[in-house]
Amino acid sequence: MKRAIAYGSSPLLTSATPVWRSRLIVAGFALVFLGLGARAAYVQVFGNEFFQRQGEIRFERTLELPPNRGRVLDRNGLILATSVVAQSVWAIPENIDRQHPQMPELARLLDMPPAELQRRLDRHPTFVWLRRQLDEQRAAQVRALGIEGIHFRKEYRRQYPEGEALAHVVGFTNVEDVGQEGVELAFNAQLSGQAGSRRVLRDRFGRVVEDVREVIPPVDGRDVQLSIDSRIQFFAFQRLREAVQQHRARGGSIVVLDARTGEILALANYPSFNPNQRRNLSGEQVRNRALTDTFEPGSTVKPIVAALALERGLVRPETLIETGDGRLTMGRFTIRDIRALGTVTLNEAMKASSNVAMVKLAQQMQAREMWEAYTRIGFGQRPQLPFPGAASGRLRPYESWRPIEQATMSYGYGLSTSLFQLAQAYTVFARDGKLLPVTLLKSQQPAQGVPVFSPQHAQAVRHMLALSAGPGGTAQRAQTVGFSVGGKTGTSRVQEGTGYAENRHRSFFVGLAPAEQPRVVVAVMIDEPTEGGFFGGVVAAPVFSATVQQTLRVLGVVPDVGVRPHIVADLVQEPG
Amino acid sequence: MTRLNLVLLGVLLASALSLVHQQYEARRLFVALERANAASDRLASEHEQLQVQKRTLAAPARVQQLASARLQMRPIHPGITEVLALPTGSGGPAGAEAAGPVQRLQGPVAAPAAPAAPRPALDSPGVRP
Repeated sequence: MKRAIAYGSSPLLTSATPVWRSRLIVAGFALVFLGLGARAAYVQVFGNEFFQRQGEIRFERTLELPPNRGRVLDRNGLILATSVVAQSVWAIPENIDRQHPQMPELARLLDMPPAELQRRLDRHPTFVWLRRQLDEQRAAQVRALGIEGIHFRKEYRRQYPEGEALAHVVGFTNVEDVGQEGVELAFNAQLSGQAGSRRVLRDRFGRVVEDVREVIPPVDGRDVQLSIDSRIQFFAFQRLREAVQQHRARGGSIVVLDARTGEILALANYPSFNPNQRRNLSGEQVRNRALTDTFEPGSTVKPIVAALALERGLVRPETLIETGDGRLTMGRFTIRDIRALGTVTLNEAMKASSNVAMVKLAQQMQAREMWEAYTRIGFGQRPQLPFPGAASGRLRPYESWRPIEQATMSYGYGLSTSLFQLAQAYTVFARDGKLLPVTLLKSQQPAQGVPVFSPQHAQAVRHMLALSAGPGGTAQRAQTVGFSVGGKTGTSRVQEGTGYAENRHRSFFVGLAPAEQPRVVVAVMIDEPTEGGFFGGVVAAPVFSATVQQTLRVLGVVPDVGVRPHIVADLVQEPG
Repeated sequence: MTRLNLVLLGVLLASALSLVHQQYEARRLFVALERANAASDRLASEHEQLQVQKRTLAAPARVQQLASARLQMRPIHPGITEVLALPTGSGGPAGAEAAGPVQRLQGPVAAPAAPAAPRPALDSPGVRP
């Protein structure tokens, strides 16, 4: 017996292969398969966790799904702020060919000098931002240059179509889409929303191939609808800007309130800024003066003192008050009127804005009464507004008032308020003695006020305000065509160190219209006018007049005063 | 017995192939869905962008500037405004036509001094050159 394997029946094909060789081969294969089996068992069972993790690291990615920031809308649903997609350009400087022929073009598209671009690329070898939030069109042009090492990241950029007219109210966000000022800051939580996420498998080219687990969808931020009417806002801002420029003033503010609902229809400040281009901003521009700046309100508090005097039964509107030659001496101080009035009724004293008459009324009151009245209309208290930096003003406790201080407080010195507080205070006269809560968000129903004065006394003071804006009053320039108005001027000296500056003034006007059934309350402040007068009746009242005129038209209020037609067009004979 | 096995083998093979095909189909549809989602996102952001653009172009500042500079218009004021009141009880603008004539409260034409010339309708052709 041959110990060999026969491969065929033909004797020609017989070979003398020993059996052990084939056994060796079989054993070798068996060993290899055993090895494979062991490896498979190791990969699948014993070392499974490690390999699973490595696989995840290589191919699974968690993608963050950014939420859309909510929009800010005006009362008619027009967009005041919204987010649009923008591309942020970043670079890996190591991979960039510095001598690339398109480098100057890149610098031009990124809006920076070529040297600055090179300097930026030197900052870090592997990552530098070249430009955050470039608009899509520009980004596409940059992409078309085809420079290696330049990358893009999708981000959102806030756009403010109203520009500087509403900059202070709406505010702005930073590059990370977090509110920094105004409504963007105050309502940041509501606007922001919540990011979602998804876990995906990516292939070799980075394409998403499969969702690994359930997608968590992002929760978009909610829209905020403000009470602002962008048309009224624009008119108010425009008139304010004209007045500030005409009188070469340092700045100014205006507040327009709806006297029925307590909504803020407009709130503007000048100087302002363009929220879409926020380079080189100064505090002067960014400050929301109407809310953050406090000042001595001057004569604009007189109606409050008068209302208090009526309420306490000290006087009636026709009561005669002796103002003499317009001087009143208290200790070392002398209180003066602008001109001597003699003996006048309270109505007339208010119309001429007599300091002496007010001091005489205040002398019959207790300090506590005055303090309470001022406090109840909101002086010295932070306004109930969700707005960053709204000032409370200053009203010292009545225990520390000296008699001279109580006297000056009756004509608006020795306490401070913001323009916004002043405007809110005047809702008392517009709403028959009730102080309205003020809101920046749109509301439909009429607001319920807090009673401060009785209706007939508030109406009596409203009548005085109308007289003040009538013929012979201090505020004649507040009159409008078609609508009756009432209001009070104010002019106060600017504090300088411990005293008052001689030539620096603030001019105010606070008023309401129409006088019989007020629909709006408007407060105007012009800071340090230097040309063309400084009295509130000359500087601030015309702004009030123009704003009221347009506001009431926009609100669709029927004119309550007869209008002489102003159409001056002639009949033109058309040829033919 | 052998025949049954062959049939089962055939079924098994068919099932395996269909599994492969289904997986391929799922991937393909997933990619298509991704693409459609991306397109929807892009269109939404484009829409937002266009809305902002529209709003910027229609911003009061720009409109006012164009109206006064290019069209020589000026702000309205009550002296040149005719005020009409809808008859009460007509139930808003929709019922105004049915409820009879509107009442003229105030306006330039109502004043006795002004000539009661008929005005051309706003939308009549030939008013503007």
